[in-house]
Amino acid sequence: MIGVLKGMATTMKHALDGETFTVAYPEDEPEVSPRFRGVHKFSQERCIWCRQCENVCPNDTIQIVMDDKRNGEQYNLHIGQCIYCRLCEEVCPVDAIVLTQNFEFVADTKDEFALNMEELKNVPWYNDIDPIQTREPDREAWVGEGEGELDYQ
Amino acid sequence: MTLPETISGLLGIEGLAGTIIGSFLGAALVGTIMLANAALAGPWAKRKITAAFTDRISVNKFGPGGIGIIIPDSVRLLSKELIVPEGVDRPAWDIAPIVMVFSALLGFAVIPMGSGIHLADPSVGLIFAFAAASIASISLVMAGYSSNNKYSFLGGLRAVAQNLAYEIPLILTGLSVVLFAGSLQMGEIVAAQQETLVLGPIGIPAWFGLVNPFAFVLFMIANVAEVGRNPFDIPEAPTEIVAGFQTEYSSVYFVLLYLGEFVHIFFGGALIATIFLGGPAAPIAALSIIPGFVWFLIKIWGVFLFTQWLRSAVPRVRIDQLIEIGWKGMLVLSIANLFLTAIIVGVLPS
Amino acid sequence: MSLQTPSPDLDVGETPEGLDFDALADLLDEHVLEREQHINTEGFVVRPDEVETVLATLKREAGFDHCSCVTAQQYQDRYESIYHLKKYKDPTQELSIVVPTPSDAPLSQSATSVYETTNWHEREAYDLVGIEYDDHSDLRRILLPETWQGHPLGLDYNQKKPQVVPLREHANPVEEKTKVPGESDTMFVNIGPHHPATHGVLHLKTVLDGEQVVDVDPDIGYLHRCEEQMCQQSTYRHQIMPYPDRWDYISAGILNEWAYARTAETMADIEVPEYAQILRTMSAEMCRIAAHLLAIGTFALDIYGDFTAIFMYAITDRERVQNLLEDLTGQRLMFNYLRLGGTAWDLPEPRDQYFEKVREFCSYIPERLEEYHNLLSSNELFQMRVMDTGILPPEEAKNYGCTGPVARGSGVDYDLRRDDPYGYYPELDFDVITDDGCDNFSRALVRLEEMRESAKIIEQCVDALEDYPEDEREIQANVPRTLKPDPDTEIYKAVEAAKGELGIYMRADGTDKPARFKIRSPAFSNLQSLEIMAEGEYVPDMIAALGSLDIVLGEVDR
Repeated sequence: MIGVLKGMATTMKHALDGETFTVAYPEDEPEVSPRFRGVHKFSQERCIWCRQCENVCPNDTIQIVMDDKRNGEQYNLHIGQCIYCRLCEEVCPVDAIVLTQNFEFVADTKDEFALNMEELKNVPWYNDIDPIQTREPDREAWVGEGEGELDYQ
Repeated sequence: MTLPETISGLLGIEGLAGTIIGSFLGAALVGTIMLANAALAGPWAKRKITAAFTDRISVNKFGPGGIGIIIPDSVRLLSKELIVPEGVDRPAWDIAPIVMVFSALLGFAVIPMGSGIHLADPSVGLIFAFAAASIASISLVMAGYSSNNKYSFLGGLRAVAQNLAYEIPLILTGLSVVLFAGSLQMGEIVAAQQETLVLGPIGIPAWFGLVNPFAFVLFMIANVAEVGRNPFDIPEAPTEIVAGFQTEYSSVYFVLLYLGEFVHIFFGGALIATIFLGGPAAPIAALSIIPGFVWFLIKIWGVFLFTQWLRSAVPRVRIDQLIEIGWKGMLVLSIANLFLTAIIVGVLPS
Repeated sequence: MSLQTPSPDLDVGETPEGLDFDALADLLDEHVLEREQHINTEGFVVRPDEVETVLATLKREAGFDHCSCVTAQQYQDRYESIYHLKKYKDPTQELSIVVPTPSDAPLSQSATSVYETTNWHEREAYDLVGIEYDDHSDLRRILLPETWQGHPLGLDYNQKKPQVVPLREHANPVEEKTKVPGESDTMFVNIGPHHPATHGVLHLKTVLDGEQVVDVDPDIGYLHRCEEQMCQQSTYRHQIMPYPDRWDYISAGILNEWAYARTAETMADIEVPEYAQILRTMSAEMCRIAAHLLAIGTFALDIYGDFTAIFMYAITDRERVQNLLEDLTGQRLMFNYLRLGGTAWDLPEPRDQYFEKVREFCSYIPERLEEYHNLLSSNELFQMRVMDTGILPPEEAKNYGCTGPVARGSGVDYDLRRDDPYGYYPELDFDVITDDGCDNFSRALVRLEEMRESAKIIEQCVDALEDYPEDEREIQANVPRTLKPDPDTEIYKAVEAAKGELGIYMRADGTDKPARFKIRSPAFSNLQSLEIMAEGEYVPDMIAALGSLDIVLGEVDR
């Protein structure tokens, strides 16, 4: 029976020390780490329409349509199916994409998470966020790779 | 003087009418108190206690310490759809939850709760209390059998096996107290514990739990099995048979079963308080200014806390182990306890 | 361990320098039609009607007691099943048995009489690719519904065709069993797919005699997400890496990623910088601790019932590891931290602060283990419940291809970190925990003690990282932007994931995407052994055995 009593003593110790591990969300928001990967921030000013993000995206979250002069016409983001792998941010040669630290967003239907370029300007979680300010993009992993055989397709 | 007599006296109604009205009002009062306790325990206290054991915050938004959760919770539970599965054995399925609650409440009729709250004091009070409590196992069987669900069925079978195995040690251990008190009447049993035992310089109350701690421990264990809490919660066993006998119940019926379980724990606590912890008596004379009823509540909540503590740290035993502990362990020990008590009680006076 | 002193009783073909394939070919004599070169080993091509003889000979004479995986695939001109054989005593000794079958009649002999584990693997091959196995006792679909039309990984499968199934096809496949036969004393119970103890969507078709389990048949596939096919449609270089996180999604992400990274790096001959290897090892062991914590927590939950203290304590501790992992990788579960040739990030700045946090956690783990031992292993009621239940004898564990803590709990000393070293493990000092109890208790005990070892490994990694010269901190090797391995290179490589040997078979066809991507999931093989553990036991013991197997349905069903 000693073991049973030892177990009971252990839980009682936890009960009496009064410490809690959980926090009262949403009043106490847990901090996310600086590297946290949340919702995309896409910068139209920076984008050079190289389409690398579209190519690297594992599940077609990003869709780009260009006209015949290779100017960007559409940048569609189906944020509802994004898996937050950050590959698009890593390949982007001009830092036009940053995964922000925001993870709170909501929609009534999955359909509302399919966003085009205009909608991307106005979605609430993008306001007041400058992608470069939110985080220092760490792109070291890609510097100097491939020895000059970059194919931008 | 019992509570119905006090009430009829206060109202000034004599004779049969007085007895009936007094009894109704008294029963309503006691029932309400106990249901209120269960309502406090079910949606709120249990959460808070479990949260304390598991380092969590738990409900905290509504009212002080989140106690207001009782209101939205009851609205939520009562407003849910009552789903009646196909093929349930209808009258039995409907009656089971009601029997569950009432069997537990019925037992409180003979419990002296202090401050004059005592509905009746028949000369066979203890036996009545045990009998009332065991009706609950009938409701478990009814619920399990009539639900037309294999998990419920298994749960019902387990409930019977468990109750058979633990009812006997429970009563035998309770009888050892009767030997001390020399009466089956609850009032007498409580009165027999009023003296003070003098052990050298310190005086302790002559509670049977302190006089015969062995019987007290046995009774506590058998009681946990009787009310079906860890480590003996096998009729429900959520990770094995989903929710046992209550798998198919929803809405009001579920509330009744759920409340019934809590009332049952409190009834177990009341029995322990009455026959082992001096009923509504204060532990030392100096604290007697606090009303007896408060002491009674403290004692039954203590037992409730203990079951919750067990729940946090003790694994559920297997059905065959439970039966083995019951028949080979508890029964033998309780009979031994009874004999020893009889010998001590018989020898001591001489 | 691979450099054991040569003992007098070497198996056929076993030499101190490695396997002598010629000797093995001689052993099999005329059965070997052809010999193929795979990257990890040689493949012997045998006739489809001689599979059983060949495998039985290899198991008996040459000591190949571990059939780790069966890969099936379709070529333009043929079907092929590959049996990946290994030895429990030395998994670097590998051999692939390649069984080609013609396109028009893909019928091959079953290996179930030699290796019990091939039962489910062959069912999966039948289900997804369409090869039929002769003499297989139970050749049904395993991942897809019984009514599925076609074999999705076959070449002629039309993905566009809707799976319209006539109503009559939906006849309840278990109806016959459900019916109460007049004389029988047994009761058929569907445990799951939604049941508190199945840890996800597992369906156990159980026959009970009273409370005792007479027969249990796990029905899997409710969480089948075509992971293999998704990887076949993704590029080696970038796109596959996020997906391993989602196989065993219980925090074991980096361990899974490493399985892919190791396979692809070996295939493309990429040298990973040492600094990156240390980072990988450290983060992988953090994942192992997190995964084991959850395993212990849910196991306790199965025994204790309800979300009680131990489960919550384990979850809190897991949160602490996840905080460390979040600082390192940017996510708490879906890490996507490894890249081919290295890792995505260096340590977070300031490094000292991070080291301090990791060290603090490492010293905290033994302290917490003390508490878990108090709550679990030294609790007599717990011992009463789990000791001598769910017995898995070592021979059966090997026969069923069990790996990881399940095998080690049965006394099978098998750990790829030590036996088939990769990453930074050869430089590290750690013990492989085994327990001869073979029961539910020892499996839980092995996991608890492995956490201690993992904490030791992390500490050693931190030591190494701290002293690492600043200018040599390379986290990424030079890898071409597009990887196109040579056509027809085949490879099977495995790592020690949280649940056991997580292996990946890949075949390249000259494009930047694999032509066949097969995942050998440890939980899939381990789950098969449930029938040995559960039959004859009580229902609660079956639940406990299931909990001690620590399956993740995401990995079982893929």
